[in-house]
Amino acid sequence: MTKTLISLIAVAALAFSLTTVAEENAEAESREEFRSIDKDVQSLKKEVLDLNRDLFLLEEELLFPANSQVAFFISMDVGEYFELDSVNIKIDGKEVANYLYTAREADALIRGGVHRVHMANLKTGDHELVAIFVGKGPNIRDYRRGATLNFNKGIGAKYVELEITDRVKKQQPEFVIKEWE
Amino acid sequence: MRIKNLTLGLLITVLAATSLASSGLEGQVAPDFALKSSTGENLRLSEYRGNVVMINFWATWCGPCRQEMPLLDELYTRYERVGFSLLGVNIDDDSRRAMQMIEDLGVSFPVLFDARKEVSELYEVEAMPVTVLIDREGNVRYVHHGYKPGYEDKYLDQVRSLLRE
Repeated sequence: MTKTLISLIAVAALAFSLTTVAEENAEAESREEFRSIDKDVQSLKKEVLDLNRDLFLLEEELLFPANSQVAFFISMDVGEYFELDSVNIKIDGKEVANYLYTAREADALIRGGVHRVHMANLKTGDHELVAIFVGKGPNIRDYRRGATLNFNKGIGAKYVELEITDRVKKQQPEFVIKEWE
Repeated sequence: MRIKNLTLGLLITVLAATSLASSGLEGQVAPDFALKSSTGENLRLSEYRGNVVMINFWATWCGPCRQEMPLLDELYTRYERVGFSLLGVNIDDDSRRAMQMIEDLGVSFPVLFDARKEVSELYEVEAMPVTVLIDREGNVRYVHHGYKPGYEDKYLDQVRSLLRE
């Protein structure tokens, strides 16, 4: 009788430990599965972001093919003589860009930022660029100045920088249009 | 009779298309823009990202706009310090009339001038006033056309729910 009881207790204990082990295994398995699903989701997310970036670049290449692309950039090297308000750009007499600068954006330019104000497709040949800068000049007076560039668009992309610099000699801002080589 | 029915049908189609076009903005990223404000600064919508933004298109010749603006100003005063911004966009050809009206009504929220109508075209504004609510992520969530007394309660609920997000 005692032997039977002891056997029964032993069997029960074994069964219990086996159940516990099985439960632990199941828990570990589900944790493993969850980790693997999480990993899959993360890698899917990364793929989607990569795809989004590739599509954006492709769209830009389709809209602005490199061989006819012209890009115009604004930069500033001023602090004293000119507070930029807006830039207006005309190509061959047609207005193509009119950009208003907020205080934050103007500050970014003064700190060395360069702004791509306009991108276009132009046929090869001669073109005229007229840029009009509006802002506050010396003595906080309203200031409006223009700069003109006649350029030739060859094969290949062209980059034009419109730079506003302080001209200490005349105590005036100077507007310079440069073509990047 | 046939011409009358045709005209009526055409009018209904145009109205329906217009309302569909405007409500088509809901759920889209709010088109970015910059305009000169009544204080002389240039203000850009994207610089308000992170705030709940209400854009209210109005004109001096619009009666409901006159009714609505003081109520919007109350909303602005109440919630500005918890991340709510309100931009009034005036579309008058002459900004001086708008400046006078702002002074008469005593509104404190920034008012921007869209004399070239570029921004109102971007937002498909057909009639005044139009009120657009943008969430903190920069997406258009609600567009209201016109104003009737009681609309301000809807605005209040929507602003509060967007602020809570």
